[in-house]
Amino acid sequence: MPTPDTVRLRSVSKVYGSAPRSVTALDSVTTEFPAGSFTAVMGPSGSGKSTLLHCAAGLDRPTGGEVLLGGTDLGGLDETKLTELRRERIGFVFQSYNLVSALTAAQNVALPLRLAGRRPRPSEVDGALAEVGLGARGTHLPSEMSGGEQQRVALARALVTRPAAVFADEPTGALDSKTSRDVLTLLRGVVDRHRQTVVMVTHDPVAASYADRVLLMVDGRITEELTGSLTAESIATANRRGTSC
Amino acid sequence: MLSIASIKSRWTSFIGTFVAVFLGVAILSMTGLVLLSAHPTVPERYRDTPVFAQSPTVDQQDSMFTDGKPWSAAKAGDLVVAFEQIPGVARAIPDRTFYAQPVLGGDPVTDVDQGYPWSAAELAPYRLASGSPPHQADDVVVPETLGVSAGTTLTMLTAAGPAQYRVVGTVDGPGIYLSDSEAARMSPGVRAIGLRLDPGADQDAVQAGARTALGADGQVLAGAARAELEPMADQRVRWIGDQVLTGLGSLSAFVSMFVVASTFAFVVAQRRRELGLLRAIGATPRQVRRVLFGEALAIAVVAGLLGSVLGGVLAPVLGDLLISAGLEPRTFVVETQLLALAGAFVVGLLVAMAGVWAAGRRAARIRPLEALREATVDSTPMTKGRWWAGGVCSGIGLLLIGLTVLGDPEDMTTNSLYAAMALIVGSTLLAPVVIPPVVRLLTAPLASSAVGMIVRGSALTAVRRTASTAAPVLLTVGLAVLISGMVETSMGGYAAARELATRAVAIVIPNGTPGLSDQAATASPGAALLPTELYTDDRRHFPATGIDPAAFAQANTKLDNALDGLVGPDTAAITASAASQLGVRAGDTTRLTFEDGLLVTLRVVAVLPNSAAPTPILLPRKTVRDHAPTALTAAVHVLGSPPTTAPLGAQALDRAAYAASADADEDRLVRIFVALLVIVALGYTALSIANTLLMATASRITDFTTLRRAGATRRQVTLTAAAESALSVTIGATLGFLIALLALYANATGLSHHLGTPLSLSIPWQVPLTAITLSLALALTATTLPIHLSLRHRPLT
Repeated sequence: MPTPDTVRLRSVSKVYGSAPRSVTALDSVTTEFPAGSFTAVMGPSGSGKSTLLHCAAGLDRPTGGEVLLGGTDLGGLDETKLTELRRERIGFVFQSYNLVSALTAAQNVALPLRLAGRRPRPSEVDGALAEVGLGARGTHLPSEMSGGEQQRVALARALVTRPAAVFADEPTGALDSKTSRDVLTLLRGVVDRHRQTVVMVTHDPVAASYADRVLLMVDGRITEELTGSLTAESIATANRRGTSC
Repeated sequence: MLSIASIKSRWTSFIGTFVAVFLGVAILSMTGLVLLSAHPTVPERYRDTPVFAQSPTVDQQDSMFTDGKPWSAAKAGDLVVAFEQIPGVARAIPDRTFYAQPVLGGDPVTDVDQGYPWSAAELAPYRLASGSPPHQADDVVVPETLGVSAGTTLTMLTAAGPAQYRVVGTVDGPGIYLSDSEAARMSPGVRAIGLRLDPGADQDAVQAGARTALGADGQVLAGAARAELEPMADQRVRWIGDQVLTGLGSLSAFVSMFVVASTFAFVVAQRRRELGLLRAIGATPRQVRRVLFGEALAIAVVAGLLGSVLGGVLAPVLGDLLISAGLEPRTFVVETQLLALAGAFVVGLLVAMAGVWAAGRRAARIRPLEALREATVDSTPMTKGRWWAGGVCSGIGLLLIGLTVLGDPEDMTTNSLYAAMALIVGSTLLAPVVIPPVVRLLTAPLASSAVGMIVRGSALTAVRRTASTAAPVLLTVGLAVLISGMVETSMGGYAAARELATRAVAIVIPNGTPGLSDQAATASPGAALLPTELYTDDRRHFPATGIDPAAFAQANTKLDNALDGLVGPDTAAITASAASQLGVRAGDTTRLTFEDGLLVTLRVVAVLPNSAAPTPILLPRKTVRDHAPTALTAAVHVLGSPPTTAPLGAQALDRAAYAASADADEDRLVRIFVALLVIVALGYTALSIANTLLMATASRITDFTTLRRAGATRRQVTLTAAAESALSVTIGATLGFLIALLALYANATGLSHHLGTPLSLSIPWQVPLTAITLSLALALTATTLPIHLSLRHRPLT
């Protein structure tokens, strides 16, 4: 069963390089992603939205502040412990290049379980694939699947361990609008049906409209938070406003 | 699961590792089998005689492979009587060996030069194929394979010179047989007595009886222990063969490891994204490392199994080659032993694991976010570990260079070889530091052209790729130059030292014979050297030379002592080191046993500098001849005019020719050794060059397609790739050459200290030129061919 844990960021900073030529990607960001919420992070290129996602997901380490999953401070974990936590409690979907090309769809989905030293039950893997609508395609290699199908396999893999939170970095960035809708509907279902947390970086207001909450970022800071009933238009307007000022 | 799947899907990247381990294990199991089979065996001549008494053996610590101290004829006679009184002993047969070489068509027959008493044929036993046994002094029985039938007259060389013998019979085994009394005259000393037993005799009781009869004068051997009766000359040949095989085996293990390491370094660099993805979805650094180890293990298991099968098949072939090269005795047989095959297989696994170790460490450091990166820019080509390892290897290499110059001359060759290996590994590790300046220097003239700019740019941004393609070239050129140069230099060195030591205008040496007969030795006026062996009572032995003191002093440039006193049968001149070993000074006496088994009291008439005598002890020629009737003269340093026609079984060489050829036999062995090593090194690294470049090119097809889109013609793209490989080859060849030169210089300096003559480096240029040409040809083919093929069919979009 999913563990309903909140992801908290306290004064998280990420600075690349050293002074005087340093670049601040995240500037003391404090926010939280409550259990069972769907958050979209938007902003122009270089606003720090991907860095925020990577730090929150434990893929990257902040240079200041702390990231907490439930009660665990990710900064206090060594590389192996952090990896194990990621494996068990966090799922991840990249924009592209999500799958190991040498393995079939089912093998890719089973990978996190195998890495955890478990022998996956066939029902587990088939169930995850069925949930993303690919029940029949488990034996196919990534090269034999379309971009949308590959993203769905990636989502099935992110969900197979029933993680507390799923982080998606531009999951629809390389897809057409029809396939994008399928993937976003699946993400929405994850939140509604399983009470899992989803955090998604996107530049597409339509994609963001599937979320409960939208964070707008500029220059490494959260400048605006939109909640309530969100439409693609209202998000686009707010986003333009944020960038122009 | 992941390891196997990934091997299946990217098998091209693993061909290099597979072939390297496959060949490595094949060579190791082949050499291992031959090495394990190369143990002493019961001599064929003694196979059917169950019990032997052997005269006391001598200390072999000096690696001279000297036969034991013989019994005198009288002592042997007493022993035969005593043995024949033991119940169960039918006959005690003393064995003797002496020089006897038939001459057919005016030339001595090669490889037929051992004579035995007729009764010793019983030890095998060999039987008469025709005719009758020898009775008269000039009767002889020859092997049927010689093609001479009973009743004919045969010219035969013995230590005295050519003489006419009457062939009275032929025998179904090897060896020349004279009558027992004539054999005893030729070789009074006896080293083995065979005991033929009555049917049903109690062998243990016979052995015990023989031991009692023998006392402390030797040992009794039975069963497999009779292998100790093998002639020392055979053991020496085997020892040389062992050196060659050990060298071959360790070189191939080293090169295999090198190839596996560079292949996997490359595999990791190519798969950064995939490994980053694995890290992102929950693989710990340990698990990433295990994936690579799993891949290496799976490949090594398959390659190792196939390799050991191939090695097992090829071992007998290698055995035959070694026999015909004179590196193993003619009786040598390769036995298939599971232990050798299993050992080679395990070494193959270890080599693969060691090779993948560094790559695994690097893979484990890949961060999850690298899954998002597409470009292959080496942001940190030098890691701390690489600095350390490179520094330590180079340091060890330089230390060994120092040892080569100043250390023990015995270890000189090995030290310089290890020095070069350490420097090669060190410079490969440090290559990312060394390469950028070299690239800038080499491409400076080309920087203005488009191709030049791209070549320069990509060599500099992907420093590790440039380094890993240059590495195998570095290894090949380095090893080829080093090994061939080392042999050439040391041969030149010893030849120079030899040339300096004699004043003679010409030297008469054996030709088709193991030594010169007295007739050949006295045909030319000069200093004749008649070598023999002297034995102490405490298992030590001293090589000695019989000389004519006046002629010897005249020919020898290093002798300043008077040898006038060296005249009587009890006189000896000895070197300073022999004097201290024997604990004597000039005027003292010492008791030594000769080849005929007689103990003689010798008076030291002169103590010489060590370098002034060819052996520790010098004796009047007549003394040696009296006690060793079958001894052969090694060389005559001709003082007057050289002989116009060479005597039978001899040739006259001028001084320079002699200096170059004196150790022709040793040289031949060394040359075979060098040829084997160079071929193996070249073959391996050729494989490695082709492998690395194929992998590199395959992964860069996208880059090249981009270049095409940017407006480059296919010709320009191919030219760019070709120029890149040529650059890598040039860098590798330059570094390899410099390293080999350093090691060679150290070797030459050490050698010239040791020999006391100034010495110049000499390199057989055709070897490095061949190595470089081959590397370049391979590199160009391996890069341009795949590009050409793939760009032809690839649309630009």
